Amino acid sequence: MTDQTASMRKVILETRDIVKRFPKVLANENVNITLYEGEILSLLGENGAGKSTLMNVLYGLYKPTSGEIFLNGVPAIFSSPKEAIRMGLGMVHQHFMLVDTLTVTENIILGSEPGAGVQIDYKQARRQVKELSDRHGLKIDPDAKIENLSVGLQQRVEILKALYRKARILILDEPTAVLTPQEVEELFSVVRDLRKSGVSVIIITHKLEEVKAISDRVYILRRGRIEGERITAEVNKEELANLMVGRSVVLTVHREPHEAHPEPVFEVENLHVVDDRNIAVVKNLSLEVRPGEVVGIAGVDGNGQSELAEAIMGLRPASGGRMIHLGDDITNLRTKDRIARSIGYVPADRQRYGLILSMTIAENIAMGYHDRPPNSHGWQLDYTAMEEQADDLITQFDIRTPGALVPAGHLSGGNQQKVILAREFSRKPTFLLVSQPTRGLDVGAIEYIHSEILGMRRKDVGVLLISLELEEIFALADRILVLYEGAIVRELIPEKTNEREVGFFMTGGTEKAS
Amino acid sequence: MKKKQTIAAVLLGAVIVLGTVGSVLWLGATVKSGQSSYFWGIWVIVAAIPLYLWRVLLLNGSEELRSLVVRSIRSVGVPIAGIVIAIVIGGILMLLTGYNPITAYGALFYGGLVRNWHISVLNAAPLIFTGLSIAVAFKAGLFNIGAEGQYYIGAMAAAWLGLNLNLPAVITLVLVFVIAGVLAAAWNIVPALLKVRTGAHEVITTMMLAHTARYLSPIFIRAYGGDPSTSTHPYVTDEIFPTNWLPSFDSFLPNANYRLHTGILVAIVVAIAVNYLIYQTKIGFEIRAVGQNKDAARAQGISIGRNIFRALLIAGFLAGLAGVNQVTGLDHKLFENLNANYGWNGISVALLAGGSPIGVIFTSLIWGILDAGGQFMSRTTQTPNAIVEIVKGIILFLVVAKYIYVYLGEWIKNRRKRSIV
Repeated sequence: MTDQTASMRKVILETRDIVKRFPKVLANENVNITLYEGEILSLLGENGAGKSTLMNVLYGLYKPTSGEIFLNGVPAIFSSPKEAIRMGLGMVHQHFMLVDTLTVTENIILGSEPGAGVQIDYKQARRQVKELSDRHGLKIDPDAKIENLSVGLQQRVEILKALYRKARILILDEPTAVLTPQEVEELFSVVRDLRKSGVSVIIITHKLEEVKAISDRVYILRRGRIEGERITAEVNKEELANLMVGRSVVLTVHREPHEAHPEPVFEVENLHVVDDRNIAVVKNLSLEVRPGEVVGIAGVDGNGQSELAEAIMGLRPASGGRMIHLGDDITNLRTKDRIARSIGYVPADRQRYGLILSMTIAENIAMGYHDRPPNSHGWQLDYTAMEEQADDLITQFDIRTPGALVPAGHLSGGNQQKVILAREFSRKPTFLLVSQPTRGLDVGAIEYIHSEILGMRRKDVGVLLISLELEEIFALADRILVLYEGAIVRELIPEKTNEREVGFFMTGGTEKAS
Repeated sequence: MKKKQTIAAVLLGAVIVLGTVGSVLWLGATVKSGQSSYFWGIWVIVAAIPLYLWRVLLLNGSEELRSLVVRSIRSVGVPIAGIVIAIVIGGILMLLTGYNPITAYGALFYGGLVRNWHISVLNAAPLIFTGLSIAVAFKAGLFNIGAEGQYYIGAMAAAWLGLNLNLPAVITLVLVFVIAGVLAAAWNIVPALLKVRTGAHEVITTMMLAHTARYLSPIFIRAYGGDPSTSTHPYVTDEIFPTNWLPSFDSFLPNANYRLHTGILVAIVVAIAVNYLIYQTKIGFEIRAVGQNKDAARAQGISIGRNIFRALLIAGFLAGLAGVNQVTGLDHKLFENLNANYGWNGISVALLAGGSPIGVIFTSLIWGILDAGGQFMSRTTQTPNAIVEIVKGIILFLVVAKYIYVYLGEWIKNRRKRSIV
């Protein structure tokens, strides 16, 4: 953190009374923000607070309804991103805009290739990219194909792309959403380096830790308005959270003691699973879940979580071992039969595996149980019953939607997740597999989903929780199983351990830390 | 309340009766020795519309009525706009190449809608079947591009059964339709198996089998009566038993054209059945789920392979019925070079209908009218028939482009939504 006071520094970007009105929503209302040269600014807000709209206005994707933008003191409203880029703005979207089959260099120069006429001077391009990556400490192989890079490195390419176009202001939209903890650390050090070289960075986020960890200053947005501005060093997380949601939130839901039944509802014995490339990714894994407890699987992404989940649901064959549900061997059962046995599944990627976005909420809720009453009689579907059931669940789970016949794709991320929870939790499960239930959601939704999961625990459902967020594991789990390279390396009790210790085992530590 | 329900039920009954009677009359309409008959059937259909609107008003109120009208106008508006624009462009082309668009289009519509209306209807019937075939496959995310092949299998099977089954008409016709359909469906087992087991793309496999089926037909014809050395009709089978003929319209509408057969009515009934299957049954639900997001469907226990099988077999069955329709309804024998391209044109009508089974009925009729009218136009005004193909191409382009607009619109809306929510 620099000790220069903000007022002494040069203002590089300023918005005055930006208003952006969409047909039904006022997305930004009189937003005034100031960005100083060489600072890291956070824009904090829940999903739907208007952060992305504001950035899209800055970047020329949207025209503001009214208001002014000043770049270096000169009025500047861009009519397209192209113009914004020319004026020194760069944006890294949450979903990367890279061509998978091209190399790093080719992606970076795409659209502004060096060279005369139709010829591209690849040698020069490669040199420029190399030099740029050296200068900013963004190590990367300029000849690597994008499809072979990890998500973190792809993000790095996006940043280089912006810098190659001489960006002085870099906007990062939810930059850590897709990164592993290590990649987040690397990103932060890159961002700090950029600050040193005079680049101003705006980070759009809804994660409080991130604001605290990286930014100099933070604006808090709520319902399209600036709710407050704080120097990060002078504010604590609770205050930020209150500003963000407009009410006091308990960051961790209260987990009341609850006695689990001794007889396990679900067991995995010596499970082996291979991935698509036929490489063993789950090795000799055993676990058991008892009714009324939440078992948390902690681990860094890519240590076999998704394959384990798929094997449990019968979406991927087990290459060895057994799975037992209520005393019966279900290792070779089809997904359909497992669902019928009251096993519920909340998948990590809700848009790909959880919902059919083009189908209605009612259809999505019925899916899986569409072949039995009340959803169907004989071969015929009963849309009236499906709709009634969906209406009930919409009320019960507080799903914000105009109705049950709205396509699931029209809902926000948090409400989409609630549709999935409504479907799985309303089927009276005995065992629930919950994977990454709050990924990408805002504080309010996280709190709600956590309390629903604990509600299932109270109803003596056995819950297996797979999460990459340690905080989530600590908030919910009665037992923590640490997954490393496809095997459970340690079982811990949350009350008797801490995040540091779990993190140590997650990253392959074998001796007991301190 | 009770009274309301009764009136609504009566209204619905009236709408169904008027709609059915009107449609049958209109479809059977013809011009016979200068006298036109049964075209008034269209007014019977029109009369049913206010009754239906009244029922909606009674049951759901004026708000719902207004939204229904707006929705209908919107859904019909874009295709109609596309057709009008295509006709204008075609007219400009005619002007540029030295034909009079007014007389040419006059002839086209007089021919297609009045003079040769029965040919339009005859054209539409097989198109409805192949269009439905492609639409069903679309619902599962599959492209049954080889409908032409299943059409040939259906036609061959119908000819074979028609030459061998000599039973009372009602039984044998049902048997012919079902067995020929099943055999055509079986033609798609190999593509379905390959798709499920190896992931081989159905566009390639069904297309290859379409050519196979097509070149099987000369062999079949030689075996059943076609004899190049002696016969006066070397490239055609013997005529099937008359009990296997679809009844013609003039058996109940005396003034109807003698060639016009009831295949169009079967086609419409099948379209309604397919609509029911897709939107109201478990099977349809699973097919749609797999078509729209197979990963999510699978995670909820819906088998992807089973539904690929179902969709491709149903598609084969429907395309096969198109062949049955031609053999039992129109030709009563199998010609070697049908050259009808109903399989390929089915792709156009299915696309034009946006994959809607009910929509396929209307787009098939439009295609049928353009074909029949185009022939009439070229015969009477010497305007080349190719202009009709160009107009069809432009319509298809504009309407498929509509989906591009819709897609773009959705995309922009979603982007906006993403940034708001």
